Parts: sequence; C-alpha cells; structure tokens
Amino acid sequence: MKSAYKKLPPEVEGFLKDKKIDRQDLLYTAETDLDSEGRFADGYLVLTRNLLGVIQAPVTEGKVHFFRGSDITKGGKVLTDVEEEQSFEDLDYGDRQEWKAEFIPLDVLERLWIENCVGCNLLVGKWEEQEHCLLMFTHLQKRVVAKLVRAVEQMKRGEEPDFAQEGEEYCPKCGRMYPDRERKVCPNCMDKRNVLFRVFGYFKPYKLQFVFMMVAVICTSLLNLVWPYLNGDILYDKVLAKDTTFLDSLGLQQDSFVTVLLFLVLAMAGTKLIMLVFSILQGVLTAQMVVGVVRDLKKSVFRKMGLLSISFYRSRQTGSLMTRVLSDAERITGFFVDGAPFILIHGLTMLATIVVMFAMNPVMALIMLVMLPVLFALNRYLRPRIWVMFGRRHRAERSLNSLINDNLTGSRVVKSFGQEKKEIGRFSGYSGRLRDAEVAISRQQNYFQLAYNGARELAVMGVWALGVYFIMNATGQEMNLGSLITFVGYVGQLQGPMNFFARVPNWWADSMNSAQRIFEVIDAVPEVQEAAKPKPLKNPKGDIVLDNITFGYEINRPVLKDVSLHIPAGSMVGIVGRSGAGKTTLVNLISRMYDVQEGEIRIDDIPIKELAFHDLRKNVAMVSQETFIFMGTVAENISYANQDASLKEIMRAAKLAGAHEFIMRMPDGYDTRIGASGRELSGGERQRISIARAILANPKILILDEATASVDTETERVIQKALNYLVQGRTTISIAHRLSTLRDADYLVVIDHGEVTERGTHAQLQALKGTYYKLSELQTKALQLKGEMDF
Amino acid sequence: MAGHRGPGGARKPEREMEDFQLEQMEQETEEMLRVRYLDDKNAKFERTGTGFLSLRIGEEFYPRVLVVRMFPFSDKNEFISIRTAEERSKEIGIVEKLANVSRETVEMLEEQLTLRYFTPIIQKINKIKDEYGFAYWNVVTDHGECNFTIRMGGNSVIHLSETRILIMDIDENRFEIPDVSQLTVAERRKLDLFL
Repeated sequence: MKSAYKKLPPEVEGFLKDKKIDRQDLLYTAETDLDSEGRFADGYLVLTRNLLGVIQAPVTEGKVHFFRGSDITKGGKVLTDVEEEQSFEDLDYGDRQEWKAEFIPLDVLERLWIENCVGCNLLVGKWEEQEHCLLMFTHLQKRVVAKLVRAVEQMKRGEEPDFAQEGEEYCPKCGRMYPDRERKVCPNCMDKRNVLFRVFGYFKPYKLQFVFMMVAVICTSLLNLVWPYLNGDILYDKVLAKDTTFLDSLGLQQDSFVTVLLFLVLAMAGTKLIMLVFSILQGVLTAQMVVGVVRDLKKSVFRKMGLLSISFYRSRQTGSLMTRVLSDAERITGFFVDGAPFILIHGLTMLATIVVMFAMNPVMALIMLVMLPVLFALNRYLRPRIWVMFGRRHRAERSLNSLINDNLTGSRVVKSFGQEKKEIGRFSGYSGRLRDAEVAISRQQNYFQLAYNGARELAVMGVWALGVYFIMNATGQEMNLGSLITFVGYVGQLQGPMNFFARVPNWWADSMNSAQRIFEVIDAVPEVQEAAKPKPLKNPKGDIVLDNITFGYEINRPVLKDVSLHIPAGSMVGIVGRSGAGKTTLVNLISRMYDVQEGEIRIDDIPIKELAFHDLRKNVAMVSQETFIFMGTVAENISYANQDASLKEIMRAAKLAGAHEFIMRMPDGYDTRIGASGRELSGGERQRISIARAILANPKILILDEATASVDTETERVIQKALNYLVQGRTTISIAHRLSTLRDADYLVVIDHGEVTERGTHAQLQALKGTYYKLSELQTKALQLKGEMDF
Repeated sequence: MAGHRGPGGARKPEREMEDFQLEQMEQETEEMLRVRYLDDKNAKFERTGTGFLSLRIGEEFYPRVLVVRMFPFSDKNEFISIRTAEERSKEIGIVEKLANVSRETVEMLEEQLTLRYFTPIIQKINKIKDEYGFAYWNVVTDHGECNFTIRMGGNSVIHLSETRILIMDIDENRFEIPDVSQLTVAERRKLDLFL
C-alpha cells in the first residue's frame, strides 16, 4: 500500500521518531485547527497500523486562517505532498516544550467518534472505561477527521482501511470552488463559447425574425449617424449660413433656401419616423422570439425533468437549481435578444462615430477619447453599488411580504392572543426598513448621476470650449457652428454604447452561467436507466425476491444492509420498524426509484433492472402517506394511471375505496375540481382517492406505505376495508406503524438499522420476544389505556 | 374503543409479567416533564481528567455530562442544561444562573462550554468579495484574521436582532458581529450586500 505520507512540521516528525514510527508506517495524517481552550492552534492526527497519534501545537499568534473555499489561489488544499524525502536525522525537530502529544494503541482504543458541536467538533476516544477529549476542530476539518475515524473503525473490524479520495471541489485551473460539488463546473473557466453556440441553436426556428431584427437594428444605428449631421452641419452651416455651393450641389436655384429648409425639416422628420418604425419592428420581433425561445427552453427542461430519477430531486442543490431554471431561461434569452445583437450594433456605432469625429476634428476627438475610459470606469464600478442597494430593497420587500402573509394566514392566532398592536408595530418596523432602502437607492442613484453626468458634462463643455475657441480664432482648425453642433451630437451618440459596454461583461457571464445551469438539467443522465433491450412483464404472478441487497443514498453509508426477502405471489407482507429504519427505502427499491448497489431484486425471477419501465411501473403501484392530488376533477384524479377507464369503472373504484359517498356529497360529484385552487379535501378523503387510483391502476404488486397513518380510527377502518378488497389476488407489501393495520399480513418482517432482524408470523414474532413483541406490547397497552379512559 | 383491535387475548398471562415495561416508560415520561435545578448544594461537578466533567447528585452519578446552553443568543450565562453524554442525550438538570454557583463550578462549566461553542467575533471587516454565487470574507476576529466563504442568496447571514448578525460559512462554521452599528461606515457599506 502506498504510504499516505504528507509533509509534517519537524516537531511532529520529532514525536514520530520518539515513538519509532517510520514515515512508511503512516497510513493517514490529518491537520486540525483548535486547541482545547477554543483557540486556533495546529493539531495533527497520525494513524499507523497500531497507533493513533494526537499532537497539539501551541497557539501561533498572528496566523491567518483560511476556511473552505476562501483562498482561491490555494485551492483549499491543506497539506501538500512532500517533494523530497529527507531522512529523520537531517531534521531539526525544534523546541517541543509547549507541544503536547499522545499516542493511543489501537487495540486499547475501544471506540473513536466525532461529536458535533456548535461551530466546532470534538474528537472523542473511549478506552479504559473513560471517554477522552482528544481534539477540537472546526467544521473545516470535519471531513478529513471523519475519514480517519472511519479508517479506525474499519481496522477495528479487521478490514483494510480505505481512504477513498473525495471528489475534487476546486477548479484545477483557477482554484475557485465549484458552486456545486456535484456539478464540477467552474463559472470562471467554463467554456462559454460552447454554451453560446448551443443557445444559438434555440434561435434556429426564428431565423427569419432574427435577420429582420438585425436589419432593423443596423438601419437604426446608421440613421443615428445621419441625424447629428442633418441637425448640425446641414442645418447651421449649409442652410442657415446660406451656403450657395450647397445649393449648387443639389442643383437648386440660389434663392430657394426656404424650400431647402422645408426639405431639410421633412428629411429630419422622415429620419426620425423611419427610426421609430424600425424600433417598433425590432420590439415586435424581439417579443416574438423571446417568448418562443423561453418556451422551448422550458419545454426541454420539463421533458428532461420527467425522465430523471428520484435521486436527482433528492439533492438540495439540484432542487434549488430547478426553481432557478425557470428564471434562467428568461435571463438567457434576455441577453440574446437585448444584449448580443447590440454588441455588434453598438460596436459599429461607436467605431463609426469615433472615426467621423476624428475626421471632423482630431484635437476635439482626442479630448473625448480621454474622457471615455473615465466614464466607462464610473459606469463599471459605481453602478454595481446601486445594484447592491436594489438587493437590499428586495430583501426588505420580501420580509415585509412574509410578515403580511403570516398575519393574513395566521389572523386567528393574532386575534385570539390579542397581538394586533404588536403586529402593527412589527409592520411599521419592516416598512421603515423598506423606506430606508428606497431612500438609499435614490441617494445612491443621485450620487451616481452626479458623478457620471458631471464627468460627461465636463467633457462636453471641454468640447464646446475648444470648438468655440477654434471658431473664434482661426487657428487653422476648420470649425464652424454647424460642425460643432454635429460634433456635440456625436458625443451624445457615444453615451448609449458606452453604458451598454460597461454592462456587458457581467451580463454575459450571468447569462452564460444561466445557460450552463439549464443545459445541465437537459444533459443530466438519469441514474436509473432502462435496460437497452428491456424484457416485457406480461401478466406477472407477482413473486418478489430480494437477494442480498445493499443500498445507501450516499456511498459507504448503507441504509439497507444485505437484506434478503422472498414475498410469494399473492401474499401480504407487513414491514415493521422504527422511523428511519429503511422501510420506505426498501419499497422504493422495488419500484426502482433507485437502483440497489449490491444484490438483486427479481419479480417473477426476472431482475427488475432488465424490465421495461412501463411494465414495471404498471404492475407496481404505491399508496403512500403522502397523497398527491393533481389539479383537475375527482374523476381525472382517480383515472390518473388508467386514462382509458370508463366512468363506470371510475365509480366502481371509488366505491371500493370507500370514496363514493363523500364524492357524492360534493356539489359537482365526480366532476368537482380538486387539487390546487380547487376544493380542499381532508387527509382521509385524499387517502381514499389515492386508494381508488391504485384500485383502478389494477397492479399485480401493491405497496402500502403508511397508507392509513394520517387518518382517524374511524376513517382508518373504512380505508382498511377498502384495502382488504384491494389486496385480494395481489402481492402486497404493507408498511405501518400501527401494528393493528398489519393483522391480516401473512408474515411480518422487522427492519432495524437497515437489517432484517426478525421475520415470521405474528405468533412466531410474539414468541420471539424481540422488537416486535415490545412494539406490540406497548401499542396494546396504549390502546388499553385509551379504552379505559373512554369508558 | 379501539381496544379490541389488539392482537388476541391468548397472551394475557405474559402481559402481567411484562408490566414493569410500561411502568418504566411512564417513569421516563415523568422524568421528561420534571424540571430539576442544580446548584452547589445538590450537585457536585468534577473534572474527569480526560477533558470532560462528571456529575454526582446524591446517589446518582454520571461519569460524563454535556453542558449545553438553552438560550445561546438571548442569554448565554443563564439556563445551562446538564445532559447525559449519549447520542440521544437526556436532561439531568438545569443550572439556572452561572452567577449563582461557585466560581470553581463556573470555571468547570465554562471549560465545557468552550468545547461546545466556537464562534469567532468579527471585529473588523477588511474585505467582502462577491463572485459567482459565493461571498469571500476577509475579517479580523477575536481569534485572529480569518478568511471564509459563504453562499450567497441562502440563509448564510442570520439577523439575531436589528444590529446583531450571525454568519454561517459553507461548512457551517459560525462568525458573529455583535453590533453592526459599532462598525465603521466603510465596513457597513461592505455589509450592505446582506443587510
């Protein structure tokens, strides 16, 4: 085995040498960061085949501490591999007076564990009947220490310790932490170009609109160039200054200035009108494309969501990812429609304007060019401060909204405790905060405007002053009033593109990040996949075999360990166990929501991994504690799994589920709208509808996961009756807390900590006097007690 | 009413034998409801010599106890719960006020509290940089200079009161700003992202 040697401080090496531990003996080393008085001080854990060493350095003053992800250049790595192996003899072990070291032989150590505290952890070891506080460390080192603890456990069990490498969580290129460890996409280094082209793909159906939009945009920017020229040069220098050569060039008579003026006005008005038309055209086209592309993006995301395995939804990170996807789609298209085309347009406009300005007067153009970076910088660095303020307002708004929401939904509590005054006080507090945020925004905006406009006006004034100077003193610079006005017009022309380019970098990065997130969902590979050539499951018997299955949501943390079960066709098996024992996980594996890590599950002797999804899910139905009612009518909800069911079949299913009566009491009977925005149903009613759904689905294998847990005893009896009908001729697996629910089971299985601890009939388990017996005793007593009280 | 639903009556004789189990359960429930205050008179804390505390209350002896604050933010020196050191720990008793027990006991309890609570107090904010969904902090705390990272947009910054802020980094390490108004204007401006 490769030695896990990492570079350690000489003092630690000294302790190792004292203990005659060779570097080759080290299996694992971990660094920790606190001493027992809660101060930052280095600690070292070293592990060999038979010793655990705990070494504590004294407090080092002035050391800077880096928590996870905070040092992007360091990439969060704590220890680096030693480059050259010096021998122990060459080392100076330093002064170890204030160091502490303790070596515990592993055969003495009974148990080693981590105690989770607030902001810190304790490593505790137990030996000689005593619990010893070995080390204190922050959550930063929890993972490395946990690895050591696990290795010790493995060695104590006589297994080979494994120090499985964890996934890299830092971008190898720039050392930044991945926002999502599972995603491993660095927002800084990702290939944005690739993403860009993919997004372009979504615009393909709108090619024509896109071309038209580009034309409109280009024309607008060309006309933008013409406008200052008409407004300045022609109006002032040619027409108002009565430049006869100008008339000549137009082929007009010498005294027709009024006519020219009229033409000019018409031309100017025409230009504006055309610009307006183009901008309307552009707006209409944009709206069409945005809506379309957003819809397409969302559609492909939703389609994918349906295919993905349950495990995808389990991780919280991806959960938040889902909700973001919807706004992400809009953000991307926003950039592509309002941003991308304008990069070209604004770039062109800017370039052309600058060229024209230089052609007109290089000196004045130069002044303007000097001011450009200043304005750009103001825009780039001052504006984000306003965004921060907007964020603050948003947060204030959110808390105010939730306060109002609390008060409306909880109005009964507020009133019954007579807390109206206090709530009003709280409200004014929150709305005060909102007001402050608003004021801060206005103030910040004013500051910004002041600085920005000031800088801009300064430049414009410089241009004016210089221009006037050039006009007044014939300095060889060709300048007259009209050209000056034209020039200033061009200066104004630069504003738009400049503001735009100051925004683009952030905007671009944001939207590419959004796009990346969306593609991630679209590209996600479902963990549970259908076999390439799935076997059909036609008219199954419903015989289920679980063959030594092991499963955990996280690797190395099995929820189910080596579970074997045989559930004969047509029988009913009850699963009993504490909450968190792995009961629900077990049934989820049978319907293949997850794949087992070891072992195999077979239905009618066919491994479920080889079955077609459609056949498997059609034959396995689940009624669980979480009933779900979809938006729609009662009938639609009952026939959810069997769309072709006739009205008669729906009625029969409802009748068998004991749902018919309450459905008929609703005003529109089976056509009553339920679910979100519809009629509210009670827990028992929802439960019965989901049972009816299962009856109509007519599966061969039925899973009841606490199907009656949330209803009162009376309703339970009704549901139980319905279930009794339902289980006939099917293989049934029933999970229940209330053992009375399971009295009809052919046999029972007790699961504890992921293992089957007891199995047999009710009588057999009673005789065993184990967990089942205890549970059943407690429940009978509780029921007895209740009976006495009722009496 | 539901009594008859219990599994048949064949086991009645056994049931009597196991009556103590129910008694035990009731006793446990009773204990859960009881409030016991500890002071120097009825309780004796002792250092175990292995970094922990033991507790003796009359006949009862606990080789190791946990010391936990009930109101870590409201008042960290009142209502200290003394609990058994098991995974599902139970309360043994309550020290109502640290001020009411001897200095020696206070010292011992505080040692244990130090082990359980680690929250550097931020004294100065050097820099907060927000980038790609994380905010990178560089601060000076009562434990020295610290750099840490928090996730943006989540609940990483908790307002304990108008001016008191608790910050949770991506590993749930905690940092506290006891009074925002004590910070300089420039520092508060850096905090604007979260206020």
